[in-house]
Amino acid sequence: MTDYSKSKFLPLTEATYYILLALVTPKHGYAVMQEAQEISVGTLRLAPGTLYGAFTTLEEGKLIKMVGQEGRRKIYQITETGSGVLLEQIRRLQIMLQSAENKRAVWQNLITQEGK
Amino acid sequence: MDTTHVVKHKWFWAWQDEKEEAWLGEMDREGLHLENVSLPGRYEFHQEEPANYTYRLDYQSLRSKDKESYLQLFEDAGWEHVGNMNGWVYFRIRSDDGDTPDIYSDKKSKIGKYERIITYLVIFLPIMLILRPNGLEGAGPFVFILEGLFAILMLLYVYAILNLMRRIGQLKGENS
Repeated sequence: MTDYSKSKFLPLTEATYYILLALVTPKHGYAVMQEAQEISVGTLRLAPGTLYGAFTTLEEGKLIKMVGQEGRRKIYQITETGSGVLLEQIRRLQIMLQSAENKRAVWQNLITQEGK
Repeated sequence: MDTTHVVKHKWFWAWQDEKEEAWLGEMDREGLHLENVSLPGRYEFHQEEPANYTYRLDYQSLRSKDKESYLQLFEDAGWEHVGNMNGWVYFRIRSDDGDTPDIYSDKKSKIGKYERIITYLVIFLPIMLILRPNGLEGAGPFVFILEGLFAILMLLYVYAILNLMRRIGQLKGENS
């Protein structure tokens, strides 16, 4: 199995994270923008210049590939490499969340103390 | 010539793209709607009702096969493509007061735009050095003037690159 933990794309930016997640199923650019906004519960609004740049970089890095065309729109999908990198990012995010969870009692105490 | 057509001439430095964007938005608020920019420094407008538009300039040297999908993406996102000039791509969108839509949603990609301009300038530098007028015979006034012009051009190049790097530095220092 290939080790993706040393990929130069890690850690993923918020934008590339949601782009890769959206491209688990094939999509054109605008559909990625819409889905990214939806699945991020509005915390990420992708602008076209940023998305286009990300497509170029991700395609060069072989994390996504063009799988078709719909008129003038290119359709992309995540590759095996892309999935590997995405999974490694998710693993790291889970560790981050868990580490905060483990300390919850401590910092929750701090917040209540400051609130007084 | 019909009276609703207005041509303006203005120079535009590569590191002053935000000033250019603001100026074009200002023109629309005065009722001058940009029609074409193809020639450097020449802007064609037509008279319309004053309106609120936000202009944004991208910098791309796209292969023609990539151009269509690039423009389509901006169009899908609501941006109107107005024209191209020396690698600059002009976009605009209707906007309300206080609203500042952008074609870049994070700092990293915005910095990428300025890095592309610098790359372009740096690539041209050796070409210019090769074309340098030093192989000419004699040292007549013509050669002298040519070399003077070349020196000015080189200084402008360096000045442009320094200003673009300063712009990147500003962006890196900004919060958000």
